[in-house]
Amino acid sequence: MHESGEHVTCREVVELASDYLERALPADEATLFEQHLNFCDGCLWYLEQIRATVETVGRIREEDVPPETRDKLLTAFRDWKRS
Amino acid sequence: MTRAAAHERRATAEELELLGLLRAGDERAFEELVTEYYGTMIAVALTYVRTRAVAEEVVQEAWLGVLKGLDRFEGRSSLKTWVLRILVNIAKTRGTREARSVPFASLAPEGDEPAVDPERFRGPGDGFPGHWRSYPANWHALPEDVVHGQETLRVALRAIERLPPAQRTVIVMRDIQGCEPEEVCEVLEVSEGNQRVLLHRARSRVRQALEEHLDA
Amino acid sequence: MIAYKFLRSDGSGVFTGFAWPLPDGSPGAWVDAAVDPCRSGVHACRLRDLPLWAGRALYEAELAGDIVEDRTKVIASRGRLLRRVDAWDDALRAEYTRMCADRAHELALGASPPLAAWDAVVEPSIPEGPALLGFVAARIADERFGAEAYHAERARQTAWLVERLGLEAA
Repeated sequence: MHESGEHVTCREVVELASDYLERALPADEATLFEQHLNFCDGCLWYLEQIRATVETVGRIREEDVPPETRDKLLTAFRDWKRS
Repeated sequence: MTRAAAHERRATAEELELLGLLRAGDERAFEELVTEYYGTMIAVALTYVRTRAVAEEVVQEAWLGVLKGLDRFEGRSSLKTWVLRILVNIAKTRGTREARSVPFASLAPEGDEPAVDPERFRGPGDGFPGHWRSYPANWHALPEDVVHGQETLRVALRAIERLPPAQRTVIVMRDIQGCEPEEVCEVLEVSEGNQRVLLHRARSRVRQALEEHLDA
Repeated sequence: MIAYKFLRSDGSGVFTGFAWPLPDGSPGAWVDAAVDPCRSGVHACRLRDLPLWAGRALYEAELAGDIVEDRTKVIASRGRLLRRVDAWDDALRAEYTRMCADRAHELALGASPPLAAWDAVVEPSIPEGPALLGFVAARIADERFGAEAYHAERARQTAWLVERLGLEAA
């Protein structure tokens, strides 16, 4: 996917950022990715933005079960217990 | 299934204990499980059906299916995966009836979807092709309460709601509910690679929404 | 094996944030980590890898245990920092950056026609420091003459660093 085996471009780096955080990049790609981050502040900040995105999404509160659903399911559970 | 068998997860000791409580009719254990899985179940249901109301019905129907099968569950998969698989089957049936069946293959990421607008990178005729024209902002330089504020959270939530269904399901499962990648693959029947692409695209789109909000 | 390691100015790892035990007259404590390139293990540079990883603070390190030599780095299961390479200070960083910038201009303007678009990249990059300028010079060499020239330019940068930092070719 790279124009060269020696380096990756910023345009390529943004496509690898999530996989890098997932630790899912093959070792040679991870090396090129880190070499690029070592000289490119733009991509360093981009990676931090993806990290911040994951953190922000992680702070979204899990949804509450609506009371009607809860009641219906508990009734079903009691019926199931009796059967 | 596309994933490697080695990734199959069996029910954990904790899950088997919970299973025992459910079979013994422990209402509290049941309620806790309903609460814990609710967000994931709604998100997964919405992969296959169009409306929130139908997704809600699918979740309820899935729990009835779980109760029916509880005595036969052997713990060969994790409890969560088993519950979600029941849900997916019901959701698919409902989706077909709604004429919005999402066939197996279409959960795979489609086409080309750049994480960042290609215009933001220098073109082949420029010096340093592929390099940023101008750098994205350093969010660490923003005041804490902007990045961590309620408004930013709302922007993220709205961006997730607007995602294509498969991307939305994967980001909800992974980054909100904290599911393992393997669980996503098993439940949605997507390969590990496709799971990562869907997550990558979802995160990229949410990042873009946050950037538009924070740069404004 | 003797190798080198660039750290942030506070002595933490550039990608891991790991707080290295720093040498203080005597070597820092040994650090153990299973070898798994880019994931785990003590990562360090051979002399020829220095330009690729140029950073804030440079340390001489001793590697031991399982050692894996990769294309552009070395990974070991044990490592410790022997001493800080004091010669790599702000003044030398600036001098190295300037040397790379001059080379980049020379390579860009020596082409016919001159690579004016590339030449324009050089000066605005300087505030970002040595790693970027080293890359830009090597990348322009690549643009003009291909991958071999990229490596030749990197080798040139290594030779400059080895000489000016007073490091022994291992």
